[in-house]
Amino acid sequence: MSDFVQPAQLSEASAALERLRTNMRASIRGKDEVIEQVVICLVAGGHLLIEDLPGVGKTTLAYSLARSMDCAFSRIQFTSDLLPSDVTGVAIYDETVKEFIFKKGPVFANVVLADEINRATPKTQSALLEVMDRARVTIDGEAHAVGSPFMVFATQNPVDYEGTFPLPESQMDRFLMRLRMGYPEAVDELEILRTAHTAYDAIALNPVITRRDVLGLQALARQVFVEDSVLEFILRIVAATRTEAEFRSGVSVRGGLALRTAAQARALLRRRDFVMPEDVVEMVAPVLAHRLAVARQTSDALEERRAVTAILKRILASIPAPA
Amino acid sequence: MKPAERKRAQLTRDEMQHLQWLLGGLLTLVGLATVFYMDVEAWVLVGLTTAATLATMWWPRLPARLPGIAHTLTFPAIVAFFVVDLWLKAEVLPAMVRLDILLLLYRNISYRQRRDDLQIIVLGLFLVIVAGVLSVSLTFAVQILVYTGCGLALLLVVTLTEGPMGLTKPAPVPPGVVPAWVAQADLSLLARRVRAVLDWRVAGLGVGLFAGLVVISTGLFLAIPRFQLENSMFLDRFISKKARSGFSDTIRLGDVTEIQQDGGVALSVDVSDQTQIPASPYWRMLVLNQYDGGVFRASPGFRAAEFEQERTDSRLRGMARPVRGEEVVWTFYLESGVSRFLPLLGRFDTLVFREVQNFRFASRPALLALREEPVSMTAYRVSGFEVASSLPDRTFAERWRRLRNAQRTTEETQVRLTLEEPDRLALGQVLAQAAGTEPLPAGELARRLGDWLRRNHAYSLASSLPAGKGDPLVRWMRSREPGHCELFAGSFVLLARAAGVPARAVTGFRGGTWNGYSNNFTIRNADAHAWAELFDEATGAWVRADPLAERGNNPAEQVRGEPAAVARVDRSWTARFDSLRVFWYRRIVNFDQRSQAETLKAVKQATETSGRQVREFFRGGVQALKAWIAGPWDVSRLVRLGAGGLGLLLTLWLVREFGGAGWRALCGGRTVRGEDPVRREAGRWLRRLAECPPVAPEEAAVVADLQRVRFGARPTWPPAERTFRRARQVLRATQRRSRVTRS
Repeated sequence: MSDFVQPAQLSEASAALERLRTNMRASIRGKDEVIEQVVICLVAGGHLLIEDLPGVGKTTLAYSLARSMDCAFSRIQFTSDLLPSDVTGVAIYDETVKEFIFKKGPVFANVVLADEINRATPKTQSALLEVMDRARVTIDGEAHAVGSPFMVFATQNPVDYEGTFPLPESQMDRFLMRLRMGYPEAVDELEILRTAHTAYDAIALNPVITRRDVLGLQALARQVFVEDSVLEFILRIVAATRTEAEFRSGVSVRGGLALRTAAQARALLRRRDFVMPEDVVEMVAPVLAHRLAVARQTSDALEERRAVTAILKRILASIPAPA
Repeated sequence: MKPAERKRAQLTRDEMQHLQWLLGGLLTLVGLATVFYMDVEAWVLVGLTTAATLATMWWPRLPARLPGIAHTLTFPAIVAFFVVDLWLKAEVLPAMVRLDILLLLYRNISYRQRRDDLQIIVLGLFLVIVAGVLSVSLTFAVQILVYTGCGLALLLVVTLTEGPMGLTKPAPVPPGVVPAWVAQADLSLLARRVRAVLDWRVAGLGVGLFAGLVVISTGLFLAIPRFQLENSMFLDRFISKKARSGFSDTIRLGDVTEIQQDGGVALSVDVSDQTQIPASPYWRMLVLNQYDGGVFRASPGFRAAEFEQERTDSRLRGMARPVRGEEVVWTFYLESGVSRFLPLLGRFDTLVFREVQNFRFASRPALLALREEPVSMTAYRVSGFEVASSLPDRTFAERWRRLRNAQRTTEETQVRLTLEEPDRLALGQVLAQAAGTEPLPAGELARRLGDWLRRNHAYSLASSLPAGKGDPLVRWMRSREPGHCELFAGSFVLLARAAGVPARAVTGFRGGTWNGYSNNFTIRNADAHAWAELFDEATGAWVRADPLAERGNNPAEQVRGEPAAVARVDRSWTARFDSLRVFWYRRIVNFDQRSQAETLKAVKQATETSGRQVREFFRGGVQALKAWIAGPWDVSRLVRLGAGGLGLLLTLWLVREFGGAGWRALCGGRTVRGEDPVRREAGRWLRRLAECPPVAPEEAAVVADLQRVRFGARPTWPPAERTFRRARQVLRATQRRSRVTRS
């Protein structure tokens, strides 16, 4: 097998990704950019945090992705009384076989929607740490693999802080990207209003790619070539966040790796087997913004996000891209 | 795994530290080499330090074996050594040199930190500068150049080694511990790695920067005001003396021949008009008027009568009258160890030393003696030489006439024969054979004696005196043995005196070569010579008589001017090296205000001349073009023109098509900054195309190919040169479109 992406593989991948995007566009209107980033996150093998107000289509987005892939989908509504075992599963004693058997929690799926993740206690939030990092759950010393591919779709409200537990930095760092859905354009919203309202689980979507295809795409994205000058560009960006006085702390090594992986996935979506600086530039805000926090006090997450994004833009403008 | 992209090889930190260790050792050795030029008692220390440095360079593990107590005691021991040295010898400079060597020794037998490497640079520089100031020799220039190069390399390596270590100060190596880099040290491996890392462009850049440094230093040297430093120097006695016999006021038979064995340069002479140099110049240094048992010397009476009182001055007026018109200026550079008697061509008008000297001057015989033999090069400028083979001496002529009239000629030393009776008789017989018994005029006598000597004796440097009793010169004359110049000159003097004509021996140099590279006259020790001077009563002058020269005694036969200058031009490799030495003396050591003005004037003239030449060249070119255009336009001319144009176009096309590829191939897949030149070229095309974005699908495909070459994996590249050619076409097309759109 070659070390580089072959043209045939590139064509197949491109076709599969196009099918996936087209399929998702059928249920999510006017959000092509968000769909593309979700697909990038999927191909990069990362987890996604969607930070937006309720009712903008977050759950529908996750559901349509899962359905388009013919994957298992589960939804967990995070609340303050949710226990870790409610997420991961629990070992219960079975009288019939006279032993403890493991009852799998909702995390055992391919696409897991963790709705309003910041409403759960830190203990429950941290139950997701291992599964997001290693794609497995360890109960009573026994490891249970979750679905493959595995993707956590977490949502949180950036404005309503009442009774919430902000995600710790270690948890935030495990999300590859953070997105914002935003309101649809007027023309798209009109179209949405015209159609009959149905619950998200009533959306009829045919799977267009298999789980195997997804795993193949993820493997292919890792083969996308990143030239040295582009790697150095990534390094300079990451290093700049560490020396920026306005940030409380810089991006971790995991953050740098995430930026590279996301850029590789984006290049694949653009039918390229090599990363260009523009891939990196486009991925900087979605991949790095949630890993950074401004040193000064901010009123809410929206303001902080705006401040971080502005600083990242300034950093990008100050670092010349390789040409 | 992806194959690694070609990346510039770099030395590891351990290798850098090993290189740093070796460079430090090399600097120490260069510094120690300068001690040979100083007369400082430090030979044991120098030997020990050299051996220790070489040993630790070869086996870097050795310093770890030095016991800890040695490190503890080093500092007090060095201080005690210095104090005792000062106390016993009571001389500061030698004590400081020895202290310097001791410190260098310690720095080479212990593992060094950054500051210790810097200390080595300073310690070595001290030795180089002290030796340089003392000797003012060309070797100093070479040493300082080598030292500067090595020192810069060491500083660069120190800086590069400090880089990866960050800002944290590396901990000193405890005694007995082998540092990590030493465990990995392998000289042959390091040599291979350095060779792999060294890029010809980096090396060229380094050489260029070094050359730039030298040029800037030269510029500063030319620009700074001159001042006399030599007179404030009191350190001459520390200079290591060269073991050369040199000319002294007592010459034994064979002394001059011994000097001739040395092929080194004795004297360099700059002449403002080289055609004024005789074909065979005689550089007189010493007149020896007394002969006794095989030894010629300047008699005390002669010295007392002829030499004036000692003077301390830098300027001297001679007896020659100033010459009208363009004055020929002769600048002499006499090497150290030759003699305290300065070579001169004869009488002169003015002589100016580079610095104030203590000297005694004998105006009549045109001799000049310094108080002591100079330990460094002596420079003096003479104008108004009377280049002639005779030296008028009215005082002696008067005295000689008086003595002859009084029949008391034997009172004159220069005609006296201090020989035993048998020798006197034998000499008379020889004289009768050589010149007959009739009294002859001085010229005729000289000719006959010279002919006889040459007829009976061959010239040879390897001569031996026949065994027997009596005067050695008389024995030699009566034999048929070959002889050297002293035997010829001495015999000539004795024979002339036997004939009753005053005669004396003269030593100095004869001949020399014209260095075609530095345009100066070079006289070597091998040109040392002895000849005679006869007193010609008729003219009242001392006439040169060289029994070894068939021609040349007669002034009319002396060849001068262009033919003589051309005949003696030396363009050998030795001359090339000698020209460096002359450059050093002429332009560096002897660079005073006058030289500065001359140099600046020369630079100005050169600039004006080259400017004029360029203007003339263009004017000539324009005229030639006009004439060519005005010429008849026939078919053959048109064909030639077309062929020339086609050739030019073909050349341009070849350069354009393959020049870039050739250059990139020459770069070997990476630029100085470690970039891939093909990727860089692709990036350049992408930037150009970004200004006029392509619209057609085939144009977009070219951009995609360029992007692949710039950012893609090398094995997936399309043919790069073809892609660049297509990019050029696309760029032209897009530029055309944008022009059309604008218009």
